[in-house]
Amino acid sequence: MMRELRWSWLIARKDLSLEFRAGGRLLSMIAFVVLAGFLFGFALDKSQVPGRAVVASLTWLTVLFASTAGAGRIFDMEEEDGAFRHVLLTPVSRRAVFIGKTVANLTLTWLITALSFVALTSFLGVRTWGSLAAHAAIFLPGTIGLSATATFFGRMSRHSSLGDSLLPVLTFPLLAPVMFFGATASARVFMALPWDEISGLARLLWAFAIGSVAVGAVLFHHVTDE
Amino acid sequence: MTLEGRRIVCDYGPVRALAGIDLHAAGGEIVAIVGPNGAGKTTLLRVLSGERRPDRGEVTLNGSRVSGSDAAWRARVGLVSHRTGLYEKLTAIENLRFFAALHGLARSGRKLTATLDTVGAGGLAGRRIEALSRGQRQRVALARSLLHDPEFLFLDEPFSGLDPEGAAGLERALAARRNDGVVVVLVTHDLRRGLRLADRVVVLRRGRKVFDGEAAEDGAAEILDHFTAGAPDP
Repeated sequence: MMRELRWSWLIARKDLSLEFRAGGRLLSMIAFVVLAGFLFGFALDKSQVPGRAVVASLTWLTVLFASTAGAGRIFDMEEEDGAFRHVLLTPVSRRAVFIGKTVANLTLTWLITALSFVALTSFLGVRTWGSLAAHAAIFLPGTIGLSATATFFGRMSRHSSLGDSLLPVLTFPLLAPVMFFGATASARVFMALPWDEISGLARLLWAFAIGSVAVGAVLFHHVTDE
Repeated sequence: MTLEGRRIVCDYGPVRALAGIDLHAAGGEIVAIVGPNGAGKTTLLRVLSGERRPDRGEVTLNGSRVSGSDAAWRARVGLVSHRTGLYEKLTAIENLRFFAALHGLARSGRKLTATLDTVGAGGLAGRRIEALSRGQRQRVALARSLLHDPEFLFLDEPFSGLDPEGAAGLERALAARRNDGVVVVLVTHDLRRGLRLADRVVVLRRGRKVFDGEAAEDGAAEILDHFTAGAPDP
């Protein structure tokens, strides 16, 4: 168990080092988030549509984009000079590879989530500082599930000649219910509804997070080994 | 210690890459697999190393089946491919440290630099892979493959991009491994180098083995005949 955790940590740390040294994805995502917040902030007539009515959906959309783009990027870096085949030829378990890559993708997704949350709430004039813990309780399981699913299918799409274009086709139908639960739960937090009306959705998100990590860890060798 | 491939068949869709290959390699032996492009050399190497499962046939070690899904087998294998498989944004020593850690080896910076020294790349330790030439990368890749003292070393066109000094260093490293009892399987399209370096040469053409024999000088003409495109299929 400790060895698996160590392998996962090594892979996650390596992926994050590569990502931060390359820098491209983070910069493009930051630009995307700021631009989205800026445009929606100006385009929405807040007297007709209050910012808190749309900020949850916009944030979840950004998170979905970040996690799927991140999964593709993480495997792109592996394929640059065929490094992944050498990783797979070490004794490292496929389960540890999956967990490590999910953790790396999740870390980057959290960064983007935090950034988009701050940018979108600021530009749309939504005050939310009093309910940050409730938002975190929704985004935490949601992002874990999204990252694990995107990591699994990100690797699977590498086996296909369709490549990246296959990733949204595979993931979005599966993630649509999760996005719905997540956005609904976040919207209820923004509307300051009592936690009793949100906790059911949070439990669904946790079930999805645990299920997607477990299924991905068990099945990952099917999308790595030839 | 004998590694054996038995009646190995591999298909890529409708294309048969390997058509029932038998091959064995013993400890302390360098086996060169040569042949023209598309002969199936790389596919055979991938099957022997456990990277790819054959569609039919099996790979055995002393009679027991081995496969890439077995972590214990992977721990005994070293691979040098024509793509170096290094992370461009990491330095040479960071690459080595990462792969050493995946093998469960806690290697100090000094030990890793010493490993680089053995392939003439000691001065490259702190440089990012993206800043290295093709030949320098190949040396770092070779150092990576030797990190865990593999008992089975598989090399796919390892001389590509190496300058004469680097090629000579690689030949010395392979000879040293052979003396240590390592099984070395080398894929090359450079027949002359294969003949000089190997104890045995296997010639493939269109997925079939057309020659398997000692790489003695007096056998060179026969091997060359099989290697040329005009040689008949068996």
